[in-house]
Amino acid sequence: MNDYLSLIKMLIEIGILWFVYYGILLFARGTRGVYVLRGIILITLIFIITKQLGFERINWIFTKIFALSILAFLIIFQQEIRRGLANIGQRRWSRFFLKESEIISEITSACFLLSKRKIGALIAIERETRLENYIESGIEIDAKVNSELLITIFTPNTPLHDGGIVISGERVAATGCLFPLTQNPKVSSMLGTRHRAALGLSEETDAIVVIVSEETGGISVAISGRLTHDLDRESLERVLSNLYRPDKKNSK
Amino acid sequence: MNNWIINNFWIKVVSLILAVITWFYVNEELIKEKHMTRQLYKSSVMSQVQSPSYDKKPVK
Repeated sequence: MNDYLSLIKMLIEIGILWFVYYGILLFARGTRGVYVLRGIILITLIFIITKQLGFERINWIFTKIFALSILAFLIIFQQEIRRGLANIGQRRWSRFFLKESEIISEITSACFLLSKRKIGALIAIERETRLENYIESGIEIDAKVNSELLITIFTPNTPLHDGGIVISGERVAATGCLFPLTQNPKVSSMLGTRHRAALGLSEETDAIVVIVSEETGGISVAISGRLTHDLDRESLERVLSNLYRPDKKNSK
Repeated sequence: MNNWIINNFWIKVVSLILAVITWFYVNEELIKEKHMTRQLYKSSVMSQVQSPSYDKKPVK
């Protein structure tokens, strides 16, 4: 009986640790802190291994480096940490109450109007991975998603039309954001910068990126480094709603 | 449910590995700490028992 209780306690404790690590890694994935975090994890692992093997001197050196790297991490990323802690209380939980269908409908309407007028657009929809790093590269807006706003942003010869926009939750977080270009050599040379940026972002994060081509007016979606071309209204809505609410498909 | 597992699969796996390593490491440290406390307690009791003043009965 006692053994069962300690096993359950162990599983619960590992579960809590898993949740904390998962949250930290997800948060860091969209920011520049990911490289530092990788370094800290590597140093921690070496520290544990050397301790187990009994290499006292190496272990002493790594103990010092570990303590310093934690301090450096706290100083360098104090802004990100502050923002992350604030988000625990604000953003994540509010996702349960989002009106996804409304947001999807606004995005779809905007995309099709832009497509008709052959106005280029690049829209990144944040999912689990934070896009803070990309939001910081643009101009923060923090406005409610609506099709008129999206159309206005991408209208040519306006100050905000260059770059992409990031939709985080039910808000347009930023505009004029710079996304990384794909480095995949297999990508067709016919693709323009907008499509390459969409692919690049979808390779690095789990974001859904919607692209409206300036040349053809075609609407494409980039997910996990894959591009789906020429979507009609129905299929765009279906793709967005399936990905925005992953459980919906299974509940049918 | 299936999507939940597949989504960010490698981050979930890495988090699980880190969680298990951390748990076992901390568990081992706690056992060591308990052992050390017990030894310290034992040695302090032994030193008290062995001290010459311990056997002396109070003078009435």
